[in-house]
Formats: sequence, structure tokens, C-alpha cells
Amino acid sequence: MLVESLTRLLKDHVDQKLLVAAKQQGWAPELWRKLDEAEFPRVSLPEEAGGAGGTLSDLAAVLRVAGRFAAPVPLAETAMLAGWMLAASGLPVPRGPLAAGPAHGETVTARREGSHWILSGTLTRVPWAQTASRLVLLAHTTTEAIVANVDPRHCRIARGRNLAGEPRDAVRLEDVPAEQAAIAGPGVTQETFRLRGALARSLLMAGALERALELSVEYAQQRVQFGRKIGQFQAIQHEIARLGGEVAAAVAAALSAAGAMERGGDVTLAVASAKIRTAEAARDGALIAHQVHGAIGVTDEHALHHSTLRLWAWREEYGNEAAWSTALGQAIQEGGAEPFWPAVTAH
Amino acid sequence: MFFEGVDFSALELPPAAQALREEVRTFLRSELATGAFTPHLGHTEFDAAFTLKVAERGWIGMTWPKRYGGAERSYLERFVVTEELLAAAAPCAAHWFGDRQTGPSLLRYGSEELKQRFLPAIARGECYFALGMSEPGSGSDLASVRTRAERVAGGWRVTGQKVWTSWAHRAHAFFVLCRTAPDTGNRHEGLSQLIVDLAAPGVTVRPIRFMNGHHHFNEVFLDNVFVSDEMVVGEISQGWKQVTSELALERSGPERYMTTFPLLVELIRRMGAAPDARARELVGKLSARLWSLRRMSLAIALTLDPGRGAQQGAARAGPDLATEAALVKDMGTFFERDIIEAARLLAAVEPTPDATDTFERYLAETIVCSPVATIRGGTTEVLRTLIARRLLGALK
Repeated sequence: MLVESLTRLLKDHVDQKLLVAAKQQGWAPELWRKLDEAEFPRVSLPEEAGGAGGTLSDLAAVLRVAGRFAAPVPLAETAMLAGWMLAASGLPVPRGPLAAGPAHGETVTARREGSHWILSGTLTRVPWAQTASRLVLLAHTTTEAIVANVDPRHCRIARGRNLAGEPRDAVRLEDVPAEQAAIAGPGVTQETFRLRGALARSLLMAGALERALELSVEYAQQRVQFGRKIGQFQAIQHEIARLGGEVAAAVAAALSAAGAMERGGDVTLAVASAKIRTAEAARDGALIAHQVHGAIGVTDEHALHHSTLRLWAWREEYGNEAAWSTALGQAIQEGGAEPFWPAVTAH
Repeated sequence: MFFEGVDFSALELPPAAQALREEVRTFLRSELATGAFTPHLGHTEFDAAFTLKVAERGWIGMTWPKRYGGAERSYLERFVVTEELLAAAAPCAAHWFGDRQTGPSLLRYGSEELKQRFLPAIARGECYFALGMSEPGSGSDLASVRTRAERVAGGWRVTGQKVWTSWAHRAHAFFVLCRTAPDTGNRHEGLSQLIVDLAAPGVTVRPIRFMNGHHHFNEVFLDNVFVSDEMVVGEISQGWKQVTSELALERSGPERYMTTFPLLVELIRRMGAAPDARARELVGKLSARLWSLRRMSLAIALTLDPGRGAQQGAARAGPDLATEAALVKDMGTFFERDIIEAARLLAAVEPTPDATDTFERYLAETIVCSPVATIRGGTTEVLRTLIARRLLGALK
């Protein structure tokens, strides 16, 4: 139901014109309004916090479809990261597009001034900060972690973008007062933030890969060379089959990791595997899709690049496959040979 | 586009299956401790005594109806047993074919008489089957088989030659795909499946040795071998459909991506608690691929599992995951190879077949067998053509 209605909405509204405009403007505010009316940015957030209810797997399904249509809106940041931090810490989730931070390796400090929390920090690449109505941050005092909500107009924002033109902005907070703040709720840690960010990108990549395959199949069914449709050549068929494998593996890995996170417990193996596998699929998948398309696929008038540019950007965000593999490999080696198989088969 | 209708949030093994896993592990630990078998990679070894013990525990034909010697357990439970046996590199060649292919085919197509005659014996671990598919002129192009059966009173006379017949020298009988009617132009018609007794007059089994001297392959000559009507599986002339119908489950099981897994475990042991950066990254990557393949394989098993093993013979409803199943085999076989590659590059040892060190022996065993997985059970090229056809549709 959720997937069908979102697919219909995006099919009706996301076209080449919208994507080209979003590339210039950074996002698609009209599309956001429509998604917002239908409550999609609040899927998986509890109703008492202003959310739309639903499970994490529901949100996973939403992000997969959003990735498939390259929807230029901060659905992942709003629901998976910012909304989650707020709701888990007992704070209401404000309407509007949200951004979240800080990324791995960066910190925001918090201090109390009377009844207010004051935040400071320098963040280098915050997704969608320039388009966000609120910035939700996990900040630290010397003793505790708090979740705070700030107005981006109080921050210094230097606009940046990723390969696909999505906003990735430098944000500087100099004694910015929090609008709302609370002690970080159970499970709201930098580690979980990174895991959820990686999961969100895995799901978006799975969807983007599906689109790259759809476009490649369509093209191979129509394009004629040497008097035949190129899909009739075995060389092209085998490339399409290989692309299919990458796409199927990405979909299975990303959705399985979402299922694991929904069930709880230690999700490191699941999420690391999903980010590694989808990033690998992005590497081979994007290039196979371009190879099948030939020269037309690399032009800005063809739709393929909306998917492939995002794949090349998203695979790096919240840790690329090398970073996650190294961390996962380290954990496995420290655990030793015998516990490895039991860990793989725990679910 | 992929995995439509599959609920990945529910993709978790039930407690009963995980309890069974512990039983299997306990059994395998004690077998290893008593030296009942030595794990080998590359070729699955044939060990009649081990097969009897597996059968005693009810782990052969475990999804089959009780009246045929089965245990009416679920596909998922079978999945668990299979992956544990593979993880331990246990010697399963005596029952693998009967459990995975012959049994399900008999359940689906066999007469009541054939079911009664063979299924309980397979499940008891006493009757071994081989598969007579390939011929000298028919490898990937299976529909071109030329072994013929001529109608005679009370049955058929079969003449021809089968090749790559694993363990035919130890099996009691084999499924023979043969031509029971002249080729009328449609190559998929006129093919039938017969069960041939490997001890029958006119049957000659000759070894074909693997490049390391191992003997599991054979060529089987059939010279006017009499096969009674009761030994026809399913319907005459429906052989092609019968052979190709059960491929989804067969293509996507753990045996398609786990045959070199014990080498990965030994690699982890060898790299130790302070591995270098390259080892960490490679081990992490391989683990991610294993985890992903297993989720795909489990998704297919769970979807095909009606939850009632007793109905295995019945037609199954639900999503069509044949493409996903073929993809598991394609990617799984390359994953198996990449374990070997990582192991040799990280450990930098010269592979030695007689090594006393388990890692080194596994490395030697897997390298020699590394070409096989992408050839047997549908070559990479045939699989990819099939996958592409499903994705692209019929292009005219």
C-alpha cells in the first residue's frame, strides 16, 4: 500500500524536468510538499511524536522507492536520522525537511546557559542543511549526550554539493541556542547514527540500481545496431545478467539489514554488509549500465546519470566499502575463527 | 523487479530451526572429535558410514512425508542442516543426490510404487543415486541427448553413453534422461526419465579421473539394458519438463556458495587477532558477500517453503524467484573463487596437496577444483543467457 502510493506519486511528479531543476536548485520543494502532505517523511516515527507510525521496514521500503526515482528531497535524513533522534529522545518532530549531524569523526559541543542549551561546532558536509527547516544534532557536554534542534538561520552555512547536485553543506555553529533539547534517548549514539546513515544510503542505492537496470533493459530492447536490437547480442545479455545480479544482491542486502535493525540486537554485521555490498554493486552496476547505453548515457539529456551520479555519491557517504570492510574485518579477526560462522547464522 | 512479495523483515529462522542447528553442530563436533571423518574441500567425499549416521538422525529426506521415510520438517530446517554440513565439509556424496534431486523428483513425478521402493531406502541412507544427464555430445545443450530407449515387452531397452556421472561406481541406480521417441524437430519432446539399476546386465561404469587423480566422475555405457515399465519416472515424453521444473531450489541452495567456506574460516584463523589492513579489508568484504548471498538464498527458501514439508510434491504458489535463484548460483560460484584468491594472496604459501596444515591443504584442494563450480549444474554462460532472457523478455 505504502510502496504503491509512493511509487504512483513519484511516477507522476518526478520527471527529467524536475530532476534537472533540482540539480540547479539543490532540491525539489514542490515534490517535498506533496510527500509531506502524504506523511511520507514521517514514516516509522511514533504518532505521539508527530510521526506517521509504521515500522523501520516500512521506511526501508519508502527509501528504496525514493532511490529508484532519484527523488531530490531529504526523506532519509528527516525520518531515518533527525526524526529518529528527536522521537527517541522524547522530543516532538517538527514538520518540514530536516537535516542531521554530526558525521563520523566530527563533534558538536553543548553547554547549559540557564534553561537553554548552547551549541558550537564545525561540520564539513551536512546533507541538505541549506534546504532544512531545522537541523537536528547529537551534541556532547563533558558528561552527557543531548539531542538538540536548531534553526539553520542561526548557523553559518557554506553551500556545497555532491556529484548529483544534492546539497552537502559546511555548517558552523557559534554559540547557537537550541530550540528544543533533551538528554539523548536510549540507543541514540554516534555509532547508531552512522549505522542508520549507512543503512539509509544502502536502501537508496538499492533503488537507484533498480532504476539503472530498468533503463538498461529498456535501452537494450530498443536500440538497433548491426540490424539487430542490441539485447539480442549475447555480449550485451551477459552484461545485463551481471547487472541484474548486482541489483538483486543490493536489494536483498539493504532490505535484510533494515529487517535486522528493526529486530534489534547487534546489527553491525548486517548494516556493514549492506553498505559494503550496495557500494560494490554501485561500482559495477553503474558502469555496466553506462556501457549498455553507450555514449547517449553520459549526456545530461539522458536520465541515466540521475541514478549513476547518485550511486557514485552515496557509496562514499556514511562510510564507503573500504571503511566498513576494514572495520568489519577487524571485528571478525578479533572475535576469532570459531565464532564467525555462529555470527553469520545467528538469524 | 527482484524479490517481489518477499518480506525481508520476517526473514528470520524460527527457534525450532536454530535448535536443530545446535543438534547438527553437536553431532558434527563429536564426529570430528572421534576422527570419524576428515574434512576435505573441492570434492564432496563418499562415506557410507557417515551417511548412515546422518540418516539415523532423520536428516536425509527430512522434508518428505513420513509415509515415505521422511520427517515432514520444513525447507528451512533442511536449509539449516545443509549449511551446517557444508560449513563442516562433511562427506555427503552418498546421499546428496538422492536427498536433493532424486527424492524431490520421485515425490513430484514418481509412481506410488517407485516412491515406496526408493524413498524410504534413500532416507535410511541405504540407497544411493547418481544422475545420468550429460553425454559426450551433450553438455550445456542437455536437450541434445542421444541415449535411446526402444519399446519392448514390459519395458524399454536402453542404449547409449552417459558421462561425468559422479559416484556411479558407488551408487545403486541412476536417473537416465533419454530419448523414447524419434526427434520430431522439437528437441524438448520425446525425452523421458528412467531409473536404471547400475548393476544391471549391459551397464559398464568406467572411471574418469580428475586432474588430481581423484575418482568421482565416471562414464557409464548402456548396452541394450532392460528397464521395466515400473522404472519410468513420471510420464513418457515429459522428461524435459520434469528435469527443468525443480531448478529454482536446486540453484539457490547453500551448496552454490559455501563449498570453499571452510577455507575462509581457516584464513581468519591464520590472520589472527592483529591482521594487516589488507587482510582486514578482504575478510570484511568476503564476509559481507557471504552474508548477502545467504540472505538471498534464505529469502528464496523461505518463500518456496509452504511451512509444511509434507506437501513438497504439490505445486507451489507464490512469487516466481527463478531469476533470483539463478543469480545466487552465478554470484555464489564467483564468491567461492574469491575466497581462494584472498587466501592465496594474503597467506602467500605454495599450495601443497599433502600439507599437514589444514589451511594449506584446503588451499591446495580448492585451487585444483576451482574451475568446476562455474561449469556444473549450468555453466555461467548458460545461466547468464537464461537470466538475461528473463530480464529482457523475448526480443524479436
